[in-house]
Amino acid sequence: MKKNSRFLIALQDLDIMISEIKDKSTAKELKEMGFELSGLKELENARLELAEQISPAILNRYEKLAVHYKIAILPITGDKCLGCFVRLPTSFFSSTPTVELITCENCGRMLYIP
Amino acid sequence: MNVKIKENMESEKLISLFNKDLCLFHLRSRKKFSILREMAHHLAKMGRVSDEDLIMEMLKNRESLGSTGLGKGVAFPHGKSLAIKKLTILFGKSVSGIDFESLDGKPTHIFFLILAPSNREAETYLELLSDLLTLVKNPEKLKKLHEVKDFSSLKVLFGGMET
Ligand SMILES: [Zn+2]
Repeated sequence: MKKNSRFLIALQDLDIMISEIKDKSTAKELKEMGFELSGLKELENARLELAEQISPAILNRYEKLAVHYKIAILPITGDKCLGCFVRLPTSFFSSTPTVELITCENCGRMLYIP
Repeated sequence: MNVKIKENMESEKLISLFNKDLCLFHLRSRKKFSILREMAHHLAKMGRVSDEDLIMEMLKNRESLGSTGLGKGVAFPHGKSLAIKKLTILFGKSVSGIDFESLDGKPTHIFFLILAPSNREAETYLELLSDLLTLVKNPEKLKKLHEVKDFSSLKVLFGGMET
Protein backbone atom coordinates (compact mmCIF):
# COMPACT_ATOMS: atom_id res chain seq x y z
CA MET A 1 0.00 0.00 0.00
CA LYS A 2 1.39 3.37 -0.94
CA LYS A 3 1.82 6.47 1.17
CA ASN A 4 -1.19 8.53 0.11
CA SER A 5 -3.54 5.54 0.45
CA ARG A 6 -2.38 4.86 4.02
CA PHE A 7 -2.84 8.46 5.08
CA LEU A 8 -6.23 8.58 3.38
CA ILE A 9 -7.39 5.45 5.21
CA ALA A 10 -6.20 6.91 8.53
CA LEU A 11 -8.05 10.11 7.67
CA GLN A 12 -11.22 8.22 6.82
CA ASP A 13 -10.99 6.20 10.08
CA LEU A 14 -10.67 9.48 11.94
CA ASP A 15 -13.57 11.07 10.06
CA ILE A 16 -15.76 8.10 11.00
CA MET A 17 -14.75 8.50 14.66
CA ILE A 18 -15.51 12.23 14.58
CA SER A 19 -18.88 11.70 12.88
CA GLU A 20 -19.83 9.06 15.48
CA ILE A 21 -19.06 11.46 18.32
CA LYS A 22 -20.99 14.22 16.59
CA ASP A 23 -23.93 11.85 16.18
CA LYS A 24 -26.09 12.63 19.21
CA SER A 25 -27.51 9.14 19.76
CA THR A 26 -24.13 7.38 19.53
CA ALA A 27 -22.51 9.97 21.81
CA LYS A 28 -25.38 9.61 24.30
CA GLU A 29 -25.04 5.83 24.28
CA LEU A 30 -21.27 6.00 24.87
CA LYS A 31 -21.65 8.57 27.65
CA GLU A 32 -24.29 6.45 29.36
CA MET A 33 -21.80 3.58 29.33
CA GLY A 34 -19.36 5.84 31.18
CA PHE A 35 -17.02 6.98 28.42
CA GLU A 36 -15.63 10.50 28.51
CA LEU A 37 -15.74 12.18 25.12
CA SER A 38 -14.12 15.50 25.94
CA GLY A 39 -11.29 15.46 23.41
CA LEU A 40 -13.12 16.31 20.18
CA LYS A 41 -10.79 19.29 19.71
CA GLU A 42 -7.76 16.92 19.86
CA LEU A 43 -9.33 14.75 17.17
CA GLU A 44 -9.93 17.77 14.96
CA ASN A 45 -6.30 18.85 15.41
CA ALA A 46 -5.11 15.33 14.59
CA ARG A 47 -7.22 15.52 11.43
CA LEU A 48 -5.57 18.77 10.35
CA GLU A 49 -2.12 17.28 10.88
CA LEU A 50 -3.00 14.13 8.98
CA ALA A 51 -4.55 16.04 6.07
CA GLU A 52 -1.29 17.97 5.64
CA GLN A 53 0.51 14.70 4.87
CA ILE A 54 -1.67 14.00 1.83
CA SER A 55 -1.04 15.49 -1.60
CA PRO A 56 -3.55 18.33 -2.14
CA ALA A 57 -5.06 16.89 -5.34
CA ILE A 58 -5.80 13.52 -3.68
CA LEU A 59 -7.06 15.15 -0.49
CA ASN A 60 -9.36 17.35 -2.56
CA ARG A 61 -10.81 14.31 -4.32
CA TYR A 62 -11.35 12.58 -1.00
CA GLU A 63 -13.04 15.60 0.57
CA LYS A 64 -15.46 15.87 -2.37
CA LEU A 65 -16.33 12.17 -2.21
CA ALA A 66 -16.67 12.25 1.58
CA VAL A 67 -19.54 14.72 1.23
CA HIS A 68 -21.58 11.98 -0.45
CA TYR A 69 -20.11 8.79 0.92
CA LYS A 70 -19.15 7.74 4.44
CA ILE A 71 -16.63 5.38 2.86
CA ALA A 72 -14.80 7.16 0.06
CA ILE A 73 -11.71 4.94 -0.16
CA LEU A 74 -11.76 1.15 -0.26
CA PRO A 75 -9.41 -1.74 -0.96
CA ILE A 76 -9.89 -3.86 -4.08
CA THR A 77 -10.53 -7.37 -2.83
CA GLY A 78 -12.48 -9.05 -5.60
CA ASP A 79 -13.84 -8.12 -8.98
CA LYS A 80 -16.40 -5.65 -7.60
CA CYS A 81 -16.15 -2.16 -6.14
CA LEU A 82 -16.97 -2.66 -2.44
CA GLY A 83 -18.69 0.71 -2.41
CA CYS A 84 -21.30 0.28 -5.14
CA PHE A 85 -20.88 -3.47 -5.86
CA VAL A 86 -20.62 -2.91 -9.61
CA ARG A 87 -18.18 -5.19 -11.39
CA LEU A 88 -14.89 -3.51 -12.23
CA PRO A 89 -13.80 -3.66 -15.88
CA THR A 90 -11.35 -6.50 -16.60
CA SER A 91 -8.82 -3.92 -17.78
CA PHE A 92 -8.37 -3.10 -14.09
CA PHE A 93 -6.73 -6.44 -13.55
CA SER A 94 -5.06 -7.09 -16.89
CA SER A 95 -2.11 -4.82 -16.23
CA THR A 96 -0.34 -3.57 -13.13
CA PRO A 97 -1.80 -0.18 -12.44
CA THR A 98 0.69 2.63 -12.56
CA VAL A 99 -1.44 4.96 -10.49
CA GLU A 100 -1.75 4.66 -6.72
CA LEU A 101 -5.49 5.12 -6.62
CA ILE A 102 -7.99 3.85 -9.14
CA THR A 103 -11.38 5.48 -9.57
CA CYS A 104 -14.51 3.33 -9.73
CA GLU A 105 -16.13 4.32 -13.00
CA ASN A 106 -19.58 3.78 -11.54
CA CYS A 107 -19.54 5.56 -8.16
CA GLY A 108 -16.29 7.50 -8.28
CA ARG A 109 -14.88 6.04 -5.05
CA MET A 110 -11.13 5.73 -4.71
CA LEU A 111 -9.85 2.17 -4.80
CA TYR A 112 -6.42 0.90 -3.84
CA ILE A 113 -4.65 -2.42 -4.07
CA PRO A 114 -4.05 -3.59 -0.51
CA MET B 1 -39.01 -15.56 27.89
CA ASN B 2 -37.64 -16.72 31.21
CA VAL B 3 -35.08 -14.10 32.32
CA LYS B 4 -32.48 -16.71 33.23
CA ILE B 5 -32.74 -18.39 29.81
CA LYS B 6 -32.48 -15.03 28.08
CA GLU B 7 -29.39 -14.14 30.13
CA ASN B 8 -27.80 -17.46 29.24
CA MET B 9 -28.49 -16.93 25.55
CA GLU B 10 -26.86 -13.52 25.70
CA SER B 11 -23.77 -14.87 27.45
CA GLU B 12 -23.50 -17.65 24.87
CA LYS B 13 -23.66 -15.06 22.10
CA LEU B 14 -21.01 -13.00 23.84
CA ILE B 15 -18.59 -15.87 24.44
CA SER B 16 -18.93 -16.97 20.82
CA LEU B 17 -17.21 -13.73 19.83
CA PHE B 18 -14.15 -14.61 21.87
CA ASN B 19 -11.46 -16.67 20.30
CA LYS B 20 -8.92 -18.63 22.31
CA ASP B 21 -6.14 -17.38 20.04
CA LEU B 22 -7.16 -13.80 20.75
CA CYS B 23 -6.88 -14.01 24.52
CA LEU B 24 -3.62 -12.87 26.07
CA PHE B 25 -3.31 -13.64 29.76
CA HIS B 26 0.18 -12.24 30.26
CA LEU B 27 0.51 -8.86 28.61
CA ARG B 28 4.03 -7.62 29.23
CA SER B 29 3.97 -3.93 28.31
CA ARG B 30 4.04 -1.36 31.10
CA LYS B 31 2.86 1.76 29.26
CA LYS B 32 -0.45 2.79 27.76
CA PHE B 33 0.50 2.91 24.08
CA SER B 34 2.90 -0.01 24.26
CA ILE B 35 0.18 -2.26 25.67
CA LEU B 36 -2.14 -1.18 22.83
CA ARG B 37 0.71 -1.93 20.40
CA GLU B 38 1.24 -5.36 21.96
CA MET B 39 -2.43 -6.21 21.39
CA ALA B 40 -2.56 -4.70 17.87
CA HIS B 41 0.60 -6.60 16.96
CA HIS B 42 -0.97 -9.85 18.10
CA LEU B 43 -4.04 -9.20 15.94
CA ALA B 44 -1.79 -8.52 12.94
CA LYS B 45 0.16 -11.70 13.62
CA MET B 46 -3.11 -13.64 13.74
CA GLY B 47 -4.20 -12.13 10.41
CA ARG B 48 -7.10 -10.21 11.93
CA VAL B 49 -5.89 -6.76 10.89
CA SER B 50 -4.36 -5.82 7.58
CA ASP B 51 -2.25 -2.97 8.92
CA GLU B 52 -1.11 -2.74 12.53
CA ASP B 53 0.01 0.88 12.26
CA LEU B 54 -3.40 2.01 11.02
CA ILE B 55 -5.03 0.28 14.00
CA MET B 56 -2.58 1.99 16.35
CA GLU B 57 -3.27 5.38 14.78
CA MET B 58 -7.01 4.86 15.29
CA LEU B 59 -6.63 3.59 18.88
CA LYS B 60 -4.38 6.51 19.83
CA ASN B 61 -6.88 8.94 18.39
CA ARG B 62 -9.66 7.24 20.33
CA GLU B 63 -7.69 7.59 23.57
CA SER B 64 -7.13 11.29 22.90
CA LEU B 65 -10.91 11.70 22.85
CA GLY B 66 -11.00 10.35 26.42
CA SER B 67 -9.46 7.32 28.11
CA THR B 68 -11.29 4.06 27.52
CA GLY B 69 -10.10 2.94 30.94
CA LEU B 70 -13.42 3.11 32.74
CA GLY B 71 -12.05 2.24 36.16
CA LYS B 72 -12.28 -0.81 38.42
CA GLY B 73 -9.21 -2.10 36.61
CA VAL B 74 -10.94 -2.58 33.25
CA ALA B 75 -10.43 -0.80 29.90
CA PHE B 76 -12.34 -1.01 26.64
CA PRO B 77 -10.19 0.35 23.81
CA HIS B 78 -12.36 0.35 20.69
CA GLY B 79 -13.00 1.80 17.28
CA LYS B 80 -13.63 1.29 13.61
CA SER B 81 -11.06 0.97 10.89
CA LEU B 82 -10.78 -0.08 7.28
CA ALA B 83 -7.82 -2.19 8.42
CA ILE B 84 -10.08 -4.61 10.32
CA LYS B 85 -11.86 -7.31 8.40
CA LYS B 86 -14.61 -8.37 10.79
CA LEU B 87 -15.88 -7.53 14.26
CA THR B 88 -13.06 -8.67 16.54
CA ILE B 89 -12.53 -8.79 20.26
CA LEU B 90 -9.22 -9.37 21.95
CA PHE B 91 -9.07 -10.13 25.66
CA GLY B 92 -5.92 -9.05 27.43
CA LYS B 93 -4.73 -9.25 31.00
CA SER B 94 -1.82 -7.52 32.65
CA VAL B 95 -1.12 -9.24 35.94
CA SER B 96 0.85 -6.32 37.37
CA GLY B 97 -1.53 -3.69 35.97
CA ILE B 98 -0.58 -0.49 34.15
CA ASP B 99 -1.43 3.21 34.23
CA PHE B 100 -4.02 3.50 31.46
CA GLU B 101 -5.14 6.98 32.59
CA SER B 102 -8.31 5.36 33.84
CA LEU B 103 -11.16 7.45 35.18
CA ASP B 104 -10.63 6.32 38.79
CA GLY B 105 -6.85 6.72 38.56
CA LYS B 106 -6.26 3.09 39.49
CA PRO B 107 -4.11 0.59 37.53
CA THR B 108 -5.76 -1.30 34.67
CA HIS B 109 -5.45 -5.07 34.51
CA ILE B 110 -8.16 -6.20 32.10
CA PHE B 111 -8.47 -5.11 28.47
CA PHE B 112 -11.30 -5.76 26.04
CA LEU B 113 -10.01 -4.47 22.72
CA ILE B 114 -12.95 -4.20 20.33
CA LEU B 115 -12.49 -3.44 16.65
CA ALA B 116 -15.16 -3.14 13.98
CA PRO B 117 -14.81 -2.76 10.22
CA SER B 118 -15.66 0.75 9.06
CA ASN B 119 -17.33 -0.41 5.87
CA ARG B 120 -19.91 -2.72 7.42
CA GLU B 121 -22.71 -0.85 9.14
CA ALA B 122 -24.19 -4.01 10.67
CA GLU B 123 -21.04 -4.93 12.56
CA THR B 124 -21.24 -2.31 15.25
CA TYR B 125 -19.32 -2.51 18.47
CA LEU B 126 -21.82 -0.58 20.60
CA GLU B 127 -23.98 -3.55 21.51
CA LEU B 128 -20.92 -5.59 22.39
CA LEU B 129 -19.54 -2.80 24.57
CA SER B 130 -22.84 -2.48 26.35
CA ASP B 131 -23.02 -6.25 27.03
CA LEU B 132 -19.49 -6.29 28.43
CA LEU B 133 -20.19 -3.30 30.64
CA THR B 134 -23.24 -5.03 32.07
CA LEU B 135 -20.97 -7.88 33.08
CA VAL B 136 -18.38 -5.60 34.67
CA LYS B 137 -21.06 -3.77 36.66
CA ASN B 138 -21.89 -7.02 38.45
CA PRO B 139 -19.49 -7.02 41.47
CA GLU B 140 -19.32 -10.80 41.66
CA LYS B 141 -18.53 -11.16 37.93
CA LEU B 142 -16.02 -8.30 38.12
CA LYS B 143 -14.18 -10.10 40.91
CA LYS B 144 -14.12 -13.30 38.85
CA LEU B 145 -13.00 -11.37 35.78
CA HIS B 146 -9.90 -10.21 37.66
CA GLU B 147 -9.21 -13.81 38.61
CA VAL B 148 -9.43 -15.38 35.12
CA LYS B 149 -6.23 -17.10 34.15
CA ASP B 150 -7.09 -19.04 31.03
CA PHE B 151 -9.68 -19.32 28.28
CA SER B 152 -11.81 -21.89 30.07
CA SER B 153 -12.20 -19.70 33.17
CA LEU B 154 -13.16 -16.82 30.86
CA LYS B 155 -15.79 -19.04 29.25
CA VAL B 156 -17.17 -20.04 32.64
CA LEU B 157 -17.43 -16.38 33.57
CA PHE B 158 -19.56 -15.68 30.53
CA GLY B 159 -21.82 -18.52 31.47
CA GLY B 160 -20.63 -20.77 28.68
CA MET B 161 -19.79 -24.40 29.14
CA GLU B 162 -16.36 -25.25 30.41
CA THR B 163 -14.38 -27.16 27.81
ZN1 LIG C 1 -18.05 1.91 -7.08
